[in-house]
Amino acid sequence: MTQTSPVTIATFIVYIIGVFILAGFSHRLLKKSSFMGEYFLGSRGLGSWALAFTFAATSASGGSFTGYPSLIYSYGWVLAFWIASYMIVPVCTMGVMGKRLNQVARKTGAITIPDVFRDRFESTSLGLWTTCAIIFFTTCNLVAQFKAGALIIEETFNLPDAWGYIGGLLIFAVTVVFYTAYGGFRAVVWTDVMQGIIMGVGVAILVPVVVIHAGGLREVNEKIRAQPPTLVTSQKGSFNDLAIEAVGDHQPAGVRYFHPGTTQEEVTIEWNTDPEASTREFVDIYLAAEDADSSTTSSANDVKAALESNASLQEVIEVKFAFDNEKFTSTPGKTISLGAPGAISLEPGAKPKTYVFVRGDEAIFGPGRKADGTPFHPFGMCLSFFVMWAIVGMGQPGTMVRLMAFKESRTLKRAILTVTVYFGMIYLPLVFIFVAARTLLPHIPQEDADKSMVLVATRVVADLGVGYQILAAIFIAAPFAAVMSTVDSFLLMISSSLVRDVYQRTINPDVKEKLVKLASYTTTVLVGALVTVVAMKPPDFLQYIIVFTSAGFAATFLFPMMLGLYWKGMTRQGAIASSMGGFLIMLACFVPNMLGGSRVDSFGVRPLVFALLSSLVLGIVVSKLSGPPPGHLVRKYFYKEKATKRS
Amino acid sequence: MDPQIESELEEDPIFRNSLREARVILSAWVLCFLYTVSYCYLNGYLVHEPNPAATGPAVAHLLGPLQSFDRDPDSLTYPLGIGIPDWIFYGVVLPWMICIGFSFWYGLVLFKEDELGSSPQESTEADE
Repeated sequence: MTQTSPVTIATFIVYIIGVFILAGFSHRLLKKSSFMGEYFLGSRGLGSWALAFTFAATSASGGSFTGYPSLIYSYGWVLAFWIASYMIVPVCTMGVMGKRLNQVARKTGAITIPDVFRDRFESTSLGLWTTCAIIFFTTCNLVAQFKAGALIIEETFNLPDAWGYIGGLLIFAVTVVFYTAYGGFRAVVWTDVMQGIIMGVGVAILVPVVVIHAGGLREVNEKIRAQPPTLVTSQKGSFNDLAIEAVGDHQPAGVRYFHPGTTQEEVTIEWNTDPEASTREFVDIYLAAEDADSSTTSSANDVKAALESNASLQEVIEVKFAFDNEKFTSTPGKTISLGAPGAISLEPGAKPKTYVFVRGDEAIFGPGRKADGTPFHPFGMCLSFFVMWAIVGMGQPGTMVRLMAFKESRTLKRAILTVTVYFGMIYLPLVFIFVAARTLLPHIPQEDADKSMVLVATRVVADLGVGYQILAAIFIAAPFAAVMSTVDSFLLMISSSLVRDVYQRTINPDVKEKLVKLASYTTTVLVGALVTVVAMKPPDFLQYIIVFTSAGFAATFLFPMMLGLYWKGMTRQGAIASSMGGFLIMLACFVPNMLGGSRVDSFGVRPLVFALLSSLVLGIVVSKLSGPPPGHLVRKYFYKEKATKRS
Repeated sequence: MDPQIESELEEDPIFRNSLREARVILSAWVLCFLYTVSYCYLNGYLVHEPNPAATGPAVAHLLGPLQSFDRDPDSLTYPLGIGIPDWIFYGVVLPWMICIGFSFWYGLVLFKEDELGSSPQESTEADE
């Protein structure tokens, strides 16, 4: 089993207690001011540091500290290009709409994003529609975030494989739901500040420790380049992955696992041994099966033995156990080899599982290569992801609502500068850390790559000595803090949507504050419980789910909001068309993919670009056709009385 | 809007200032986008899309066959000797540093510290 030291666990628990204490202080403030404004928006009183860190921590989601490191580990330096848009994210996401959105929200007393839409366009239907969209995307995202939190708890507390994930999920859910429900927005912001500092400190310390431990970046790059072409099988199931290195002059293209389609008692191997062959052949591995209609039964150990006993492959490949198959005992640094006894199960009639050899150079240059041989970051992705982080970041309701909560313009300015420096300290250094981790923790299968941040902390840093174990706790707390800070703000967003937008503003405007309180607490807890149940069957690759929901948010919210703030000609009909159009086109592009087909792409550009463009065009065209907008709305939001008139 | 009413009103300065600042920021984003994507794609990729349609006809028309940009791994250098591959250093790290400078210019020079007003609820509380 993985062993995290007691010191690390104790430090981690102290951190969790700190979060609860902050929630307690925040709860006391709820009694001193208007409940709704304080619980969901902190009474519009955020200062520079609070705004900066709550913004940064909410942006730096579980994806930043689990999905992103796992991708760096898998594909190398190309991730610096993938994340490059963050160079201008803070000024884009906070500067383009921040001041204006804050002003418009103040004019009407809006507390939530649907509030802003409802008041700006005097449209209840737009308010309700945006509420539904928030609930849909936020719930999808929360499932992925809960998975990330559960994985961190499972690894940190050495929970047994049999129930570790569920146990971790329950601990995470109870912690985050309790402090969010009890403390409200202010607790979320305060914990964001604490978590933001922890994330920054964690990365700042992790960079020199890991990079120096690996021998320096230059040395790391040379080691990676010198690695033989390698593949790590990534099969579903435990202890059934192998790391295979191509060590001979005549290199195969990769390996393929086949169902034999008939009764077969042992693993058999087929490979074209002709070194003069014009194309590199795959090593085809036919697994054992009881008959044509049953799943294969071979273990990875069987495959390893078959490959090693094949005379034609002995000088060609070297088979090792993947990282997960060699775990640390209670004595740090001492390993026991568990081998790979897990079954490789292929269903009858299933397509062969293909894995290609990836050269070390492919982690230094673009486009990176996936285990199945397809490029990781082709041209269309280059375009899409640069749009993704900066432009899509502007359209996230979770960040927009923070722009409604700051005290004055100066607060926003200082926060932008703080976040600019902060992101520079986080995102590039993470690339350095996890490129270096490739040489320290080789052969992590892609299925387990989501754990790479925690593995670096528990296996690399803590093993350096007792003094480093407290640091390890900080490193583990960093991704955990990132996940918590996203989850808490999303939980609050859903409950505010239901309580404020649906109940108070649509069903019962005269509701008493006591009932609002009860409804807010209850809704937050119920949403948390629902997401926990869904997350018990976790999805794979967090980052992709987070990307989908972020893109969906932007397609639905960005242009209706931006045009509403900056274009006098925007009408209610235009806003509805822009929001619904973006949402539906986003879904339409993804539905074929969800049904098992290919995603709708053109030139490799992701659906979000089409959805965003459609949202923009629909907003303008429908507004032109349905305009002009009511004069009193234009006057209210775009004009003020002349100074001479007032005097 | 009625010209009579319009003569009594002026454009909201927060709207005007915010719009000006937003335009500058979005222009900066476009510059970053064009530079970083083109620099990294043309200088840091071992293999480029063989099919011109994959990058769009315009790119193929401007640059010709992209395979001529395929990077030779042995040409790798490390600017300043800090171990960051050259294409990442010039394509990402350097513009990132410039963007930090831009953000400070935006904050300290371009940004207007406008008075944001108060919400109806705050006004009510102040009156009470």
